[in-house]
Amino acid sequence: MRAHWRTVALAGLGLLASSCKGVTWAQVAQKAGTVVNDSAAAKKERASCEKLDVEPTVTEEYAIGSAMAIHWVQGGGGLMAPTDGAKGTGVHDLHEYLNVVGKNLGAQSARPTLEWTFGVLNDDKNFNAVSTPGAYVFVTRKLLSELGNESQLAGVLAHEIAHVVLKHSIKQYNAAKVSLCKTAVTMEAGIPGSGGLIASTDSGGNLDLDGDSALLGSLTEKVIEFAESGNDKEQEYEADLLAAKMMLSAGYDPDEYIVLLRKTTDGSRLGSRHPNKADREKRLVAFLNGLKPSQGEFAELSLQGLRSPPLKPELVAALKSPSRGVAKDGK
Amino acid sequence: MTMRTSAAGVALMLALLALGLPSLASAVAVGGSLYVKAKNTRVMESPSPTANAVVILQPGEQVKWEGADPKNKQWHKVKTAAGKKGFVFQSNLSTTAPNMELVVEDKGKRQVNPAGFVASGAAVKALSPGAVEYGNKKGGDHKQAVAQLQSLEKKAKDVSTADIAKHVKDAGLFPVVGAEATAKSGAAKSKSKGGT
Repeated sequence: MRAHWRTVALAGLGLLASSCKGVTWAQVAQKAGTVVNDSAAAKKERASCEKLDVEPTVTEEYAIGSAMAIHWVQGGGGLMAPTDGAKGTGVHDLHEYLNVVGKNLGAQSARPTLEWTFGVLNDDKNFNAVSTPGAYVFVTRKLLSELGNESQLAGVLAHEIAHVVLKHSIKQYNAAKVSLCKTAVTMEAGIPGSGGLIASTDSGGNLDLDGDSALLGSLTEKVIEFAESGNDKEQEYEADLLAAKMMLSAGYDPDEYIVLLRKTTDGSRLGSRHPNKADREKRLVAFLNGLKPSQGEFAELSLQGLRSPPLKPELVAALKSPSRGVAKDGK
Repeated sequence: MTMRTSAAGVALMLALLALGLPSLASAVAVGGSLYVKAKNTRVMESPSPTANAVVILQPGEQVKWEGADPKNKQWHKVKTAAGKKGFVFQSNLSTTAPNMELVVEDKGKRQVNPAGFVASGAAVKALSPGAVEYGNKKGGDHKQAVAQLQSLEKKAKDVSTADIAKHVKDAGLFPVVGAEATAKSGAAKSKSKGGT
C-alpha cells in the first residue's frame, strides 16, 4: 500500500540515485550535460556526505513530512472536499470520523506523542494509502469505497501508522540527503539548496529545512522519487505485523486485515520489491497463531473481546457522492 | 477468530526472525515494571471501564505490575510510582518503552515530565512553515494542496481524546485512550474539545 502516483522529479537527478552500477560519475555527468568534479577533494567531500545519514530532529521530520504531504495531496487529486458545492479549501466532514479512528490507533502506537493527521485523497482510481514522516496518513477514495467495516479501515490506517513508527520514509529521506549531497559535490550543476546540505556535513548532519525551502523542495522530490519505487518486502512485512498489533491493542479483529490484504492486487508498478499478498497473509497468520500468553508473564496482546464495528453510514454515503478535487493549474 | 493452528510459537519466532523485528517484548513477571503505552491511561478503582479513575498516566510513565485480575484477565493490578494502586486495561501497558521523542529536549540530555508535556500542548504541530512556502511557491495544485492540508489539520486537531473515547465506547472497542488527561473527583466528567 504505497504510492503509485507519478510526480515530477528533479530533471536529471533521477539518473543519479546512489547506486552507480558500474557507471562513472563522468559518464553520468556527460549524460546530464554538466561538468563533473572528480578531484581528490571532491571524492573526500562525497565520502563526507555519509555524515548526513543521522536521525532527524522532530522539526526536520515535520518539515519533510509536511512537504511530502503536499505532494501526495497534489498528486492524489486533492483532499475530499465538502459536498456543499462551495468552492474553496475546506475538507469534507468525514475527515472527523477518519481522524477519530486514526488518532485512536496513533495514541496507542509506539510514537504516541506525535500529532497524527489523516486525510482522504480524491483519487477514485487507485486502491492506495500513503504516509509521511511527522505523521500524515492518506487513503484514496477508491480504497475507502471498498472497505467492508471499520476494522478494515483501522487496518489500512494502522499499516500506514506502522510505516511512520518504523521510520521507513526517514530511511528514504536520509538516503535522499546523502544522494543529493554526492551529486552536488560531484556535478558542477546547481541543485537548489545544496549549499546548505553540504555545509551540514560539518555540523552534525541535521538540517534547518524551514529556513531553506529550496533545499526542502529538492529533498522532497528526491524522497518522493524513492517512495514511488515502494518499500521493500521486509518493510511491508514489518508494517503488517505492527498494524495487526495496533488493531489488537484497540480491540479490532485482525482477521479483517487479512480480508483487506486479499483486496490488494499483486504485480503492481511497485515491482519485485513489493511482497505478494499470499506471503503477507502467511506471515500474519503465523503471528496471530503465536499469540498465546506465557503463564506468569504479562501479556500485552490477546484475542479476547475483539470486534468488527460497521463503518459510519455517513462515510459510506459521502463516498457515493461525486468527487471534486483541486483546481487544475492552468500553466 | 479463525485460522489458529498448532506449532504457533515456532511459526511466530520464525516469522519474527525473518522480519528482523525486535522480539515481541521482554518478559515481565509479577513485581516487574511496565510502561504506560497509551495517552490518558486511566488507573481505575476496580477492573471496569466505568469505574472511577484513581489517577491518569501518560506514555512513558512506569508502574509495578501486580498481576491480572482473576475474573477480568484483561485488567491488571498496578502500583504507580507515587504509590497509588488500581487497575489498568491490558492495551494501555507495555513491556517496552514508547518512543518519547517529543518529550525529550536538548537532544536527550533532559527528560521532560510526560504529564506536564501533554498538558502544555507542546506536541502540537502544523504544516511546517518551510513546506508552506515551498508549496505556495510551486503554485497551482500545490498551493491548493497547502490550503486543504491546513483545513485538514484544523479538523484533525479538533478531534479530542473525549471524541475518541466516545466512539470507542459506542463501537464496543477497548477502552484504551481516556477522555481526559487528569483524573477528576466525582463522577461527572465534562467533555473537553481539542484535548490532548
